[in-house]
Amino acid sequence: MAKVLITDDAAFMRMQLKDILTKQGHEVVGEAENGQVAVEMFQDLQPELVTMDITMPEMNGVDAVKEIKKINPEAKIIMCSAMGQQGMVVEAIQAGAKDFIVKPFTPERIQESVGKVL
Amino acid sequence: MEDFMKVIVFTLKEQRFGVNVQQVVSIEKLQKITEVPRTSDFIKGVIHLRGETIPIIDLKERLQITKTETTDDNRILIVQVDDVQVGLIVDSATDVLDINTESIEPAPKMIGGVHETYLHGVANLDKELLILLDLERILDLEETNEVKEVIEE
Amino acid sequence: MDTNQYIEVFLDESREHLQAVNDNLLKLEKQPEDLSIVSEIFRSAHTLKGMAATMGFEDVASLTHQMENVLDKIRNEELHVSTDVVDITFAAVEALEEMVASISEGNDGKKDVSDLVSKLEQLENGGSAPVSQESSSTSESQSSIEFELDEYQATVIAQAKEQGFEALHINVRLNDDCILKAARAYMVFEKLEDKGDLIQTVPVVEDIEDGNFEQEFSLLMLTKESKEDLEKLIHSVSEINRVDVSDLKVKDKEQEQPKAQEDEDPNKAKSEVAATKEAPANNQSAPKQSKTIRVNLERIDNLMNLFEEVVIDRSRLEDLGQKLKDQELIETIENMTRVTEDMQGLMLSMRMVPVEQVFNRFPRMVRGITKELGKEIDLEITGADTELDRTVIDEIGDPLVHLIRNSLDHGIESPQKRKEVGKSETGKVSLRAFHSGNHVFIEIEDDGGGINREKVEAKAIENGLLSAEHSEVLSDEEIYQMIFSSGFSTADQISDISGRGVGLDVVRSKIESLGGNIIVESEPGKGSKFSIQLPLTLSILTTLLVNVQQETYAIPLSAIVETMLLEEKQVMFVQGQKVIDFRGKVIPLVSLRDIFNVPTAEDSKEENSIVIVHKGDKMAGLLVDSFIGQKEVVLKSLGNYLRDIFAISGATILGDGEVSLIIDPNALVK
Repeated sequence: MAKVLITDDAAFMRMQLKDILTKQGHEVVGEAENGQVAVEMFQDLQPELVTMDITMPEMNGVDAVKEIKKINPEAKIIMCSAMGQQGMVVEAIQAGAKDFIVKPFTPERIQESVGKVL
Repeated sequence: MEDFMKVIVFTLKEQRFGVNVQQVVSIEKLQKITEVPRTSDFIKGVIHLRGETIPIIDLKERLQITKTETTDDNRILIVQVDDVQVGLIVDSATDVLDINTESIEPAPKMIGGVHETYLHGVANLDKELLILLDLERILDLEETNEVKEVIEE
Repeated sequence: MDTNQYIEVFLDESREHLQAVNDNLLKLEKQPEDLSIVSEIFRSAHTLKGMAATMGFEDVASLTHQMENVLDKIRNEELHVSTDVVDITFAAVEALEEMVASISEGNDGKKDVSDLVSKLEQLENGGSAPVSQESSSTSESQSSIEFELDEYQATVIAQAKEQGFEALHINVRLNDDCILKAARAYMVFEKLEDKGDLIQTVPVVEDIEDGNFEQEFSLLMLTKESKEDLEKLIHSVSEINRVDVSDLKVKDKEQEQPKAQEDEDPNKAKSEVAATKEAPANNQSAPKQSKTIRVNLERIDNLMNLFEEVVIDRSRLEDLGQKLKDQELIETIENMTRVTEDMQGLMLSMRMVPVEQVFNRFPRMVRGITKELGKEIDLEITGADTELDRTVIDEIGDPLVHLIRNSLDHGIESPQKRKEVGKSETGKVSLRAFHSGNHVFIEIEDDGGGINREKVEAKAIENGLLSAEHSEVLSDEEIYQMIFSSGFSTADQISDISGRGVGLDVVRSKIESLGGNIIVESEPGKGSKFSIQLPLTLSILTTLLVNVQQETYAIPLSAIVETMLLEEKQVMFVQGQKVIDFRGKVIPLVSLRDIFNVPTAEDSKEENSIVIVHKGDKMAGLLVDSFIGQKEVVLKSLGNYLRDIFAISGATILGDGEVSLIIDPNALVK
């Protein structure tokens, strides 16, 4: 059971992720609509896991990873990417993200990823 | 067409014989022969020649011609038939002749005291009849064994 | 084109390639996923095809062509290696061997291969297609990716190995639905980053970074981490279908630089000529590089004969030197003696060939027979590089075949039986060759049921080889040796495999004709061991020279127990036969003078010179006139004209140019 912070600019995506994670027994402690918010919420909520969309207004996912890592180098972040964002994913991994999942999500894939990262 | 055949001419008890030169490897002087026990009487033993051991046959004994004295003229004709190499003791080796193959006639039953079994034919030359030997038959091991059996009996 | 002059080379190379195919097929059966083996076989088949076509042996060419097609499919993972594939390919190889053998006998090598060709075609055209599809979609198959190293990389690896690093081949396969493959691969790289040095990747790093690969890529890494740890580590990344970490395999290119692996290659260049043995150790895996030339055996024999002429002249020179007492001449001759002795050793060594030539055919034979018998048997071969005289090699094959068949058939029990008695169901037959002194030993050991003393005893008594009373005093060992007696093997013992109407007595006489001997040891329930002792070379023999009147005879030292002088009165008569007492045993005394009808010049000596010889455990005394001394002699055959001469095994030429006969003591011991 992990406390999860979901980051995505699309409410639909947040809903879907929340649904899947909750069904798998995790507790979604917060939802951020961009990187900036995510960094703030990370500090406040201290989640055990963060899901991070890449393309977002204000602050993109890669920058957010960098910021969060500054707060806590041990932070566990899973990138949520669309097809064609390979370069960004690699950059995020370099910045310290632990894994990535590719949209559209499947529950199995999310389970695997969360399991490996935690 | 094979018109001429080269033969080596040698003598056995004054009679001249010939063998096809292609079957003759070399002509050697008589030398010390090491006896090989329990072989036919006409097998005199073995000699050493260029790293090989070569069985020696007394051709006169083989052809059942009476013995003659050993002289300095005695020679060993090293002959090769198929994969068998042997030395034949002859009284002397005299010359090499070209004979016309057309002059060769089938051998009579007995000539020069030699049975036709061992003869290839007779070459009718100007002044003489040259007896051509059939080395295959002379060296035939089956034949040899038969002879041996007779002797052992 | 006049191809006759190439036929020898063609035959030699064909045999080598067929042997390579053979060996590799056996390997492939054990590691059906290892496509590098398929490539090897493909290459051999391809070479064979080319050679056969050039030489005009069309049946060979068409069969190899079809083999090639099937192998190509396997190589490209379009076809799975099944038992069918291996069986049919074996059958094709067998047919090819027959054809090559027929060509070597001067025939045209024609053979109806249409059946095999069509079977191969069936295979090619998807006889096993469903299997192949399965294999590519379930990604069960192991990696086919191989590394080709350049010299620099090979050196780096070799050095790293010295420092305790392992060169590991890491093959990673991503889930089929993984989309961002490059990022995934990047994660794998990142995980491995601090675990060691990455030497090479397949495909190249750039391609991996661009995601230009099917779901799979390979890394060559120098590391001190364990394979298991690395596997675990990589598995911590998501979307990984499978990870295989194994010791480095390298693709063997024709002119490949030294490979950094100890992969055993049984097909190292074979040649009838001893080659540069001092080749650097790390060159040994590059077979094509060893510097050998093929020389017809006949030429070596001719060289040997000419050489002996030199030796004979040398002893004449020695006589001259003694006579002339010229110091300079004597020194020159002494030097010449040393050089010629070295030359002789060298020439004899040219005749030596590794016993591997004979052993090579056994793995397949064992495979075939075990299938036929429904048994499971592992054949273990050691010492295949042991060298033996060419003549012995040519003759030893059949006896060994017989003994191995015997072990497989009679020695090893059925799997059920083995299970019942608590053994592993898979039997084991070990074939060993090794040197010891002037001999080479070949052993065939099985872990089967051993020899049943009662059965052997009963059979021996039944066949009149042994009396019931006598059998009781014999030890197990003595009873076991009875299986080599002529007339022991009987009809009800002959099965399809061993037997075939020939008994072990034939094996023994063959081995004895090679100057060797054979014994068997056995332990009930544990197995049997056949030990064959063979002379290193047949062409040189240590003998004792003896005089029989004026004649000089040579007696092989291997048969001599000892020499002795005996007074006339110590000779006894038993049933008209001369006998003597030797160490409490009564043994017959054979006079060589009588046996060989040597004309007698002098007689009546007080003392008898006797050579005690043995054949197995039987002995006889040979009466001679005097001993001359021990001498190494070169064995000469008496030629085709004089065959099967009683008690004479050949002749030798002594230093003075005279011929001396070599006695075969076996014929004189009854």
